[in-house]
Amino acid sequence: MRRKRMMEELDQDIQDHIERETQDNIERGMSPEDARYAATRKFGNVTHVKEETREVWSLIWLENFAEDVRFGLRMLRKNPGFTAVAMLTLALGIGANAAVFSVVYAVLLRPLPYKDPSSLIVLNETTPMVGTVSVSYPNFLDWRDQSRTFSQIAAVRGVGFNLSGVTQPENISGAAVSPNFLSMMGVRPFLGRDFESSEEKAGTPPVILLSYSLWQSHFGADPNIAGRTIKLDDRAFTIVGVLPPDYRSLDKTDVMLPIGVWATDNSEDAKERGARGDLAVIGRLATGVDLAKARAEMEGIAARLAAEYPASNDRFGVALQPIRDAFVSDIRPAILVLFGAVMFVLLIACANVANLFLVRGASRTKEVALRIAFGAGRGRIVRQMLTESLVLACFGGVLGLALAIGGIRGMAQLIPTGMLSGSTVNLNGAVVLFVGSVVLLAAFIFGLAPALHSTKPDVQSELKEGGRTSSAGASQNRLRGVLAIAEMSLALILLIGAGLMMKSLYRLLAVDPGFRPERVLAMSIELHTQQYSQDPAVLNFWQQLLDRVSVLPGVQSAAVGTNIPLTDSHGRADVTIEGMAQPEPGNYPHPDVHIVSPKYVETLGISLLRGRTFTDDDNEKAPLAGMVNAMVARRFFPNEDPIGKRFLFGHPAATNSSKWYTIVGVVSDTKLYGLANPARLEVYLPFRQSPSNGMSLVVKSSADPAALTTEIREAVQSLDKDQPIFAISTMEKLRSNSVATRRMTLVLLGLFSGLALVLGAIGIYGVISYSVAQRTHEIGIRMALGAPRLDVFRLVVGQGLKLAGIGIAIGIVAAFGLARLMSSLLYGVSTTDFETFAGVSILLALVALLACYVPARRAMRVDPTVALRYE
Amino acid sequence: MSTKEERERIELLQGTLDLLILQTLLLGPAHGHAIAKAIEFRSEDVLQVEQGSLYPALHRLIKRGWISVEEGTSENNRRAKFYKLTPKGRRQLTLETRKWDKLAGAIARILRPTKQEGES
Repeated sequence: MRRKRMMEELDQDIQDHIERETQDNIERGMSPEDARYAATRKFGNVTHVKEETREVWSLIWLENFAEDVRFGLRMLRKNPGFTAVAMLTLALGIGANAAVFSVVYAVLLRPLPYKDPSSLIVLNETTPMVGTVSVSYPNFLDWRDQSRTFSQIAAVRGVGFNLSGVTQPENISGAAVSPNFLSMMGVRPFLGRDFESSEEKAGTPPVILLSYSLWQSHFGADPNIAGRTIKLDDRAFTIVGVLPPDYRSLDKTDVMLPIGVWATDNSEDAKERGARGDLAVIGRLATGVDLAKARAEMEGIAARLAAEYPASNDRFGVALQPIRDAFVSDIRPAILVLFGAVMFVLLIACANVANLFLVRGASRTKEVALRIAFGAGRGRIVRQMLTESLVLACFGGVLGLALAIGGIRGMAQLIPTGMLSGSTVNLNGAVVLFVGSVVLLAAFIFGLAPALHSTKPDVQSELKEGGRTSSAGASQNRLRGVLAIAEMSLALILLIGAGLMMKSLYRLLAVDPGFRPERVLAMSIELHTQQYSQDPAVLNFWQQLLDRVSVLPGVQSAAVGTNIPLTDSHGRADVTIEGMAQPEPGNYPHPDVHIVSPKYVETLGISLLRGRTFTDDDNEKAPLAGMVNAMVARRFFPNEDPIGKRFLFGHPAATNSSKWYTIVGVVSDTKLYGLANPARLEVYLPFRQSPSNGMSLVVKSSADPAALTTEIREAVQSLDKDQPIFAISTMEKLRSNSVATRRMTLVLLGLFSGLALVLGAIGIYGVISYSVAQRTHEIGIRMALGAPRLDVFRLVVGQGLKLAGIGIAIGIVAAFGLARLMSSLLYGVSTTDFETFAGVSILLALVALLACYVPARRAMRVDPTVALRYE
Repeated sequence: MSTKEERERIELLQGTLDLLILQTLLLGPAHGHAIAKAIEFRSEDVLQVEQGSLYPALHRLIKRGWISVEEGTSENNRRAKFYKLTPKGRRQLTLETRKWDKLAGAIARILRPTKQEGES
């Protein structure tokens, strides 16, 4: 605005000025004509003055930049081949980065939808035997009463429900929370009301909040939902509201209810200080309190409770964790390794593009020299070249983003379910922003060296020398050699990472899980409703289910059991083994407990090592029987036969000693917690002697087990039409899922290192073939002087292998250091595994050899007469 | 005009012209032509100003807020634009003058070292 007005007035000013000067001249005695001429002359170039004045008012750099962009675009259009290759290379690098970043963002960076999440702390109990465990409700109440470092504190208890009264009954996850939970988190219901403080006490009427997705899927997003009811476990809950769409929790939450409802239904658990089952505590730090201070206070409280209630709390401590860390799952190390890897790919892509720029820079030396001769500053030309790089990088970025759309979809599928803790992998503003900064960074990385290089003063001697083989040419070759070496080292590091990962996965899949997962289908069934409140009804259901499923066509054997391998349902208890030395308190054996039907061991293909498995005779009336795994036998009965020995649950002092279980069999260890984790102590109990409402049905099929799903569902519903089955999966799928993070890492590392290998090979090929082209003259002389063709071949290949060799050497040293960062992802292979290092180095050397072969052949075929005449 | 005559005149550095304009306006508001004349007159015609180059400089000073413009009428009742020193420009002038004196002194010492030594 101001600029425009000032410029309009300038014309007037200039006219006035010349008018006055003319007048002065006339007064000095000139003729009017001469006077005007002299005045105009004295004023100088009017156009120039106007232009200069306009510049005062304009953002000069912006206009220069626009001009550089136009120039850059023109240069890129002039070399479509160069532009296409460079753009594609960058797009691959940037696209891969965007795809991996979308996961980094989803898992590590996405802001949690809570008020001031940095002061939210997750609290758990700890025990030396197992580490972190759930909190018992009475302990939570004491924590709340005694702590001063938290301004608010709330309990979250996981509850499973059978949702019936719909087309197909299903199992849903609920969270029973202290009434202050949502307000503490800073979450307001999307519809309806929050819980009220009165809803903490036992006797609270059943009220519930729906998750946004359940409200959408089962209630047609009814805006007048408050007051309607939902039937869970054959009881009607009054819906009081809906959670917001972006509500995110540590565990899947389909419905939320006040903890008073849970306390009513589970009055014993709510009062039993030793009952620790799926209850987490979240607290908000009071202002001015840091984690260390809160931890010190909580440890003091835990120690007091341990002294006061030794039976349930002895040696139990407390663990505090910022809520962000609780959300970041085990996938973190894998994601960070992949992020590093994909950055390497981008660096290699940049090195390749820088190489292309250098080649083209060589042909533009004269243009640059001329511009410098005409007075353009070096800084100005460097700026112009960087702008050109930026234009190219922007195109690469846009194309990369397009590639990333596909890549992100792929990542979302590849990432193991459950690793996202409620976050989603998608293309969002953060990813676009990231791509923007990567574009800037990349333009600088691949643009700066060539720009500085081709404007170096000594390059300018090219102009005088007529530009053939000069010292500047040698320095350029050196720079290109360095780039090729860098590419080789980066590619080697990535390949070693992929190699180590591949070996780990191979080793892991070769691990004997202790059971035969082939053709076994597993699913969960939880009996929640009133009709299963008595043990005989529960046992009757399981028995009838087994009877019906066993006779289905294609079924070889069927069983029910708790705590099946490779799932996250774990039941463990302290045991006392008859005759063992009295352990320290808190150091009791703490095996995983399986409650199983007779054919469980057979169905899962677990080997019976000694004694017998359970039979139908191990029932309510029979003496208590148990099986143990090999580890129990080894540890507690090293030199004797465990069969006939006895164990009981809990500690002898606190337990009725009539509940001794006699060991009837020994079975092999199973990998309950994943193939990479060591086996643990396990005991098995017959299901008729320890009735359980929640069991997994496992079925061994003679063909594809998944095909049985429908018939099994029908069998269940013929027994109880409202009974859902869930978590349906083949055991092979469970085994495969248990290595999903590692598989994802391997697939992506493999992909990235393959890309790196190709780019690196192209890099070396480019350097060598350019150097051959440059040395055609020299090679011609050598051949004219009688050098054998093989020597020429050797000369060229030797040059390439030297670059590759240096690159490999540097890469090996770097990989020694970097592989340690992925040690938590490896299994059964050292981070300095010789085979991997050697194999990958040889592979890379071979690829480099191949990349040099083509230009070397070309060099061999140089015709001396032609080469010499070329001058 | 002979080339010899032109060579004896000194081409102005950009910053110097700014300084001269500010100095001129210290005496009071003036229009463009008057400023050019004043500079020529006061430097006894040694300083060669292509009169046009005054205008980018004036606009630069306006942009920096060191001078302002106002409409007025000149001696012969013609409408004209007057440039006027702002308080900010006045401060800047003191600052620049001091800097210039320092620089000129330093250059003089370098160019005539013996004389300087003799004086001290």
